[in-house]
Amino acid sequence: MKEINVTINGKKVTGREGQTILELAGENGIDIPTLCYHPELPPIGSCRVCVVEVEGSRTLVGSCHTPITEGIVIQTHSPKVLEARKMIVELLLTSHCGNCFMCDKANICELRGLAAELEVGIPRLMGKKRFYPVEDVSPYIVRDLSKCILCRRCVRACREIAKKNIFDVGYRGFDSKIVVDCDRALDKEACRDCEVCTSFCPTGALSKKKEPFKEDKRGKPIVVGAGAPEQDT
Amino acid sequence: MSGDILTMEKGRDELLVALQEAQRKYGYLPEDYMAQLAESLDISLSEVYGVATFYSFLATKPQGKYVIRVCKSVPCYLKEAESMIEFMERELGIKPGETTADGRFTLQLVNCIGACDKPPAMLVNDELHGDLTPGKIKQILSSCK
Ligand code: FES
Ligand code: FES
Repeated sequence: MKEINVTINGKKVTGREGQTILELAGENGIDIPTLCYHPELPPIGSCRVCVVEVEGSRTLVGSCHTPITEGIVIQTHSPKVLEARKMIVELLLTSHCGNCFMCDKANICELRGLAAELEVGIPRLMGKKRFYPVEDVSPYIVRDLSKCILCRRCVRACREIAKKNIFDVGYRGFDSKIVVDCDRALDKEACRDCEVCTSFCPTGALSKKKEPFKEDKRGKPIVVGAGAPEQDT
Repeated sequence: MSGDILTMEKGRDELLVALQEAQRKYGYLPEDYMAQLAESLDISLSEVYGVATFYSFLATKPQGKYVIRVCKSVPCYLKEAESMIEFMERELGIKPGETTADGRFTLQLVNCIGACDKPPAMLVNDELHGDLTPGKIKQILSSCK
């Protein structure tokens, strides 16, 4: 395979033909944040979180979907890049309705993680919020589209990995929404024992339906304070 | 690059043409039709619906006899499109996206229709009307029988 000479953050390195900027950066120990990108899915470059500066390019470019070229000069953490990334996440959060305190996925949410990492801070912008009622008709999956950031990972994962092809994007602009059939609440038998989409969703928009607590899971009642029976251990 | 462009299903490139055809024939895209189309092109219904809802000139609900598409893009907006829209809402008694009870009019807001030289502008079915004023709108509406 052809070798390609690249300058990344002032360092001269070599990459392979067909490699993306993101992949090359990773190989050289440079961490570029991503959101819509997932190593197991085809890149679509929709979120722009991974932007970098490329010398001679009019705009910042998405590193997850831009292949390296001979002699390319890349800056992954210049002030311009950092500022843009921060703004992108801030804008995503502006339309994202959801209260992290109440969200089951708060601790594993990639959006929240990114916001913290990029030091986005408390919200400054007051924009329209995307609000949808929670869909929990499916016995297997709960969809809370108010938390969806339209990264399309579920669309791709369901199509490419689960091979069930249930989702797509409907409407346009601010109204864009991940739809099932003619915009129905998700309720497919194909979702049984699958969980591919829930594991790919970076936010709390898709989650596995929790089993309601059963008697045997609850264990013995715990009684505290005076009059509590002796515990036999 | 890791992975390929999203898998191209076999019937995908025929989708839009089929939808336009059906729109012409039925005046909108009935769900049964979309479901059949998805099946025959071997793509998902979600995808058909996604394309159908992306374009302003494709409808997924029955439309009125006269479809009014008012431009809401910036040049028209600067020339009072907003108040023309409000006027029309009052005249017709419906909001954008709705159809009058008698099935005569559907009101829609669309992006630039290429009549920026005579803003505010709108289309009534295929007919273009520019330099709108409340008086002019009244006239146009009453000529739609
Ligand atoms: S991660 Fe590259 S555009 Fe979303
Ligand atoms: S902006 Fe209204 S027609 Fe172009």
